[in-house]
Amino acid sequence: MRERLDRLLKEALSELGNAASKEAALQVKAKYLGRKGELSSLLKELASLTGDDKRGAGELINNAKNSLEAAVGVRLSGFDEKEMAERLSAERVDVTLPGRCVYPGKLHPVTQVLSEVEEIFLNLGFTIAEGPEVELDSYNFEALNIPKDHPARDMQDTFYVSGDVLLRTHTSPVQIRVMERAAPPLRVIAPGTVYRRDSDITHTPMFHQVEGFMVDEGVTFANLKAVLTHFLHRLFGEKTSVRFRPSFFPFTEPSAEVDIRCVICSGKGCRVCKGSGWLEILGAGMIHPNVFKSVNYDYEKFSGFAFGLGIERIAMLKFGIDDLRLFFENDLRFLRQF
Amino acid sequence: MLFSYKWLKEYVKDLPSPKVAADRLTMSGTEVEAVSEACGGIKGVVTAEIVSRERHPNADRLSLCEVKTDKDVFSIVCGATNMKAGDRVALALPGAELPGGFKIKKSKIRGVESGGMMCSEKELGLRETSEGILILPNDTPLGVDLREAMGLDDAMLEVSITPNRADLLSIKGLARELAALTGAAFTEKEIKVADAGAPVEKSISVSIEPGAPCGRYAVRVIEGVKIGPSQEFIRLRLEAAGIRSINNAVDITNYVLLELGQPLHAFDLDKISNRRIIVRLAKDGEQIETIDNKTRQLSSDMLVIADGVSPVAVAGVMGGKGSGVSDGTVGVGTTNILLESAFFDPSTVRRQSRRLGLSSDSSYRFERGVDIDGVVRALDMAAAMMKDYCGGTVAKGAIDLYPQRFENPVIQFRLKRAAGLLGISIEKDWAVKMFKALGMAVKESSSDTQGSPRLEVTAPSYRFDIRNETDLIEEAARLAGYDRIPAAMPVVSMTGGSLGRRTLIRKKINSILTGIGFSEVVNYSFVSPALFALAGGQGGDGVRLINPLSEEQSVMRAVLLPSLLANLQQNLFQKNEEARIFEFAPVFLPGGKGSELPLENWKISGLMYGRRVQWNGPKEPLDFYDVKGVVETLLEGIGVESPHGAEPLQGLDSGYAHLFHPGKSAAVKIGRTPSGGRTPSGGGKHCGVFGETHPDMAARFDLKGPAFLFELDVDALIDVSSGIKKYTPLAKFPESSRDIAFIVNVATPYGEILNAILDLDTKLIENVELFDVYCGDKIPKGMRSMAIRIRYRSLEGTLTQEEVEDVHAKAGKTLAEKFNAVIRSGLNP
Repeated sequence: MRERLDRLLKEALSELGNAASKEAALQVKAKYLGRKGELSSLLKELASLTGDDKRGAGELINNAKNSLEAAVGVRLSGFDEKEMAERLSAERVDVTLPGRCVYPGKLHPVTQVLSEVEEIFLNLGFTIAEGPEVELDSYNFEALNIPKDHPARDMQDTFYVSGDVLLRTHTSPVQIRVMERAAPPLRVIAPGTVYRRDSDITHTPMFHQVEGFMVDEGVTFANLKAVLTHFLHRLFGEKTSVRFRPSFFPFTEPSAEVDIRCVICSGKGCRVCKGSGWLEILGAGMIHPNVFKSVNYDYEKFSGFAFGLGIERIAMLKFGIDDLRLFFENDLRFLRQF
Repeated sequence: MLFSYKWLKEYVKDLPSPKVAADRLTMSGTEVEAVSEACGGIKGVVTAEIVSRERHPNADRLSLCEVKTDKDVFSIVCGATNMKAGDRVALALPGAELPGGFKIKKSKIRGVESGGMMCSEKELGLRETSEGILILPNDTPLGVDLREAMGLDDAMLEVSITPNRADLLSIKGLARELAALTGAAFTEKEIKVADAGAPVEKSISVSIEPGAPCGRYAVRVIEGVKIGPSQEFIRLRLEAAGIRSINNAVDITNYVLLELGQPLHAFDLDKISNRRIIVRLAKDGEQIETIDNKTRQLSSDMLVIADGVSPVAVAGVMGGKGSGVSDGTVGVGTTNILLESAFFDPSTVRRQSRRLGLSSDSSYRFERGVDIDGVVRALDMAAAMMKDYCGGTVAKGAIDLYPQRFENPVIQFRLKRAAGLLGISIEKDWAVKMFKALGMAVKESSSDTQGSPRLEVTAPSYRFDIRNETDLIEEAARLAGYDRIPAAMPVVSMTGGSLGRRTLIRKKINSILTGIGFSEVVNYSFVSPALFALAGGQGGDGVRLINPLSEEQSVMRAVLLPSLLANLQQNLFQKNEEARIFEFAPVFLPGGKGSELPLENWKISGLMYGRRVQWNGPKEPLDFYDVKGVVETLLEGIGVESPHGAEPLQGLDSGYAHLFHPGKSAAVKIGRTPSGGRTPSGGGKHCGVFGETHPDMAARFDLKGPAFLFELDVDALIDVSSGIKKYTPLAKFPESSRDIAFIVNVATPYGEILNAILDLDTKLIENVELFDVYCGDKIPKGMRSMAIRIRYRSLEGTLTQEEVEDVHAKAGKTLAEKFNAVIRSGLNP
């Protein structure tokens, strides 16, 4: 029995080794392991044995069966792997062909910078406010301490819709509108579109601004410096040098121009900073008592600071754009770059 | 304004270098935009003397001169004729540079080598025209740099002066400020007028009419002058400051204006009728011909200087032609001058300057305010100069009408308040010293109720901008230097920041539209009347600017879409042939009665043009359903149920109608959908339009095919999108789907069919999906075949066959009865 088994197993393994395909291997499997296979018929012969012989032969047959089954399994999986490899190879694509994408549109660079500015102030607990673009003279000028027939009006050439109605020249009237409605403490920014009657290589008649202000008891110029320095560090990087120098705006006193070290030349002096090494970025100051008077705030009790900045200018510096007019030409070759 | 450094130094001997002075000014609030060398374009030009002058051997019109400097002799060919041996000249040797970057080289002129060039004033940039070369005074040293020899070695400070600092609009004023900033000594100049003539009252009488807005008016008379060209130093200083030289008398008034900041006017005394000057308001209907040869209409709110008969000057703005100083080239030359120095009300001058469209160095200063206490000093300085440089005798005395003496207020300066506002501590001694350096009178006052010290401060007359305590606090901050104030984050009670509802929805819309390929544009809010007219009467006559920069930018938009079409036109011109753009902006509609301001309605507007973008599929042109899909995506994305609530635009009263193809456009209707259910049919609110451009619009904007547009009302979207979402439980029981195919008249809108079916049973019909639409040969003309799949499901249990068939049969019945549909399949017979 043992000899027969050994021969049978040897034969089977040899046939299995010679099987050229998965089908051939399966045939070998059927021939030896199938219900009517060789090993099965050996098992049937067991019926004629008895006692220890029967037990010993059964064990031998089972061992032979197990080892053959294992060999068949290995052989079959070898064919499976090969088949899979061939299939995968046949299904190969050219991965360098372009993807089937929806080309994403881009937000206008002005919108992108506005969002960035808004984000920084929202994180400081500021609220966003808006106001009308066509505005009353009283909000745009008079409440902001710029009377009629005052030379300070020359600083902002104005489009008029009628004698008292104009296109706002800055977003500062929102400051008045908010303070009229609400009592301190206030932390607000007012982004928006503004208009000045000026058009040349460095001016467009429409542009964007963010006005911001904070009013509370005990707000100081030192606070103004800290908040705006934080803002500029977030916008241009922590290492950016910031300088504050005195200036004049009718609605703030003391007033400041805020400069950063030129981002183009790092302060060596270039065309963009006109050789000064500094770039004007913000106008700011402590809110003028006359502005508080116009909204009936007690200026002995409350103080506050306000600031404003032009978005296009920031966008030009951040993206290295050298022509202001590009912002309003809406050429897709420009818009898709951001 | 341009300031000569050398001129400033006449007042402050120990002025630091131009660069340092400029920095100090900039950091104290007076921005110096540039420091440049005066006549910086002249490089390497030296003084020399002509030794001999011969005729050029080969050219009759040229001379050949031997010219020597302190060391060498050069042969120079010259085309001028105004020089002779012994004249001292400006010699540009090879390597020298003239204004405009012109470099001098050795060259041969008609066969003779010229070792350089003798320069004219024009070539040196010193005058606009000149005849012949520049001849220098005989005592000019030789071999010296010309800029030094002529006193041109100066630095010019280009200073931007803020409107509140009128006192800095002069050499003296800026020098005074520099002295205060640097601690250097300020030296006042002595002015003496030798007024040896007859008393001024014999020549002229002067009065200010009551109520005339004139704070001070002073005159002097200079008799027997000779009008002619100016002294060189006066001319050069005026021109360096950008003022053209006119004649000696006028130039002196301008010289004094530059030095002291006080505008002066010189009248020809003999042209003043009745020898009388009246400062008064004009009478309606009066006219004056100003020195620029224009006749100006005057009105009763304008201040004029009149003689016995009529106005002779518009106060502070411009003089009359008839009464001006003349050099005699036309008419009789002036021999007697009436010199005016005054303080006119700033607002009045500003108003009349703007009304007449006339702005001058004088009006610029008057409208910002001049030093009322410096009026006579300027008058004296000019009179003394006229005596020296125009000949003539100064009449004895001045007439000076100064009805109400100006006094600056006494201001309480509380050190504690100043420190509190700035966030630094302020020493009393420092404050006293600082205010005094600025020319202010300072007195220590009693402490306030909390024992904090106070100062009583009075500003000098030229600092009329200092009116209250805050003005003084600003001076303290400015002089201390903003650098010295520390940065300290505020300590606040916490409040939350928030976005407005519009900003919130804008962010959502931005991300949806960019996600499906739309780029954002930003257009000017003002458009041309032609573009405005495309709004089709929307916004009536429109919100118009009364002073637009141009007709092209004169009306505020009432609709955004025409701007987007113009953007497309421009992009096509640039060969950008696929476009998906959007804009989020307000439109402006005239306000109703009683409203001072126009309505501003925010719109979200988009345009798409070209083909469906894919590289490996068919290049299909876009159509109506692409833009409809965009609108649906947008609405779905912001939380509005995608509506089939679109109605054909045709026949709707909409200003957009003629932008659109009447058969391929629709109005969007939306409604709030609190339970995630659908908008009830027929309900909802009109919130915008979409569709294909009208062929006329495509032609107007040079499009090669149709564009697809949408414009939605943002406020309406906010209303329907901001509801809180309510969850619908997930179905626990299986669905059961049935298809129906049918043929129906092509004019029957699918939306109506859909709503009719959905309305059959809102509990069992979960949704209806259209999966085939066919028009063509296989079905009768005028009809179309449609196939829909209705999905049935109950939230309460598994539907039985009978229940489904029951509703499905109703759907078939509705199709047949309500829409005359012929059922092709899907219903049990």
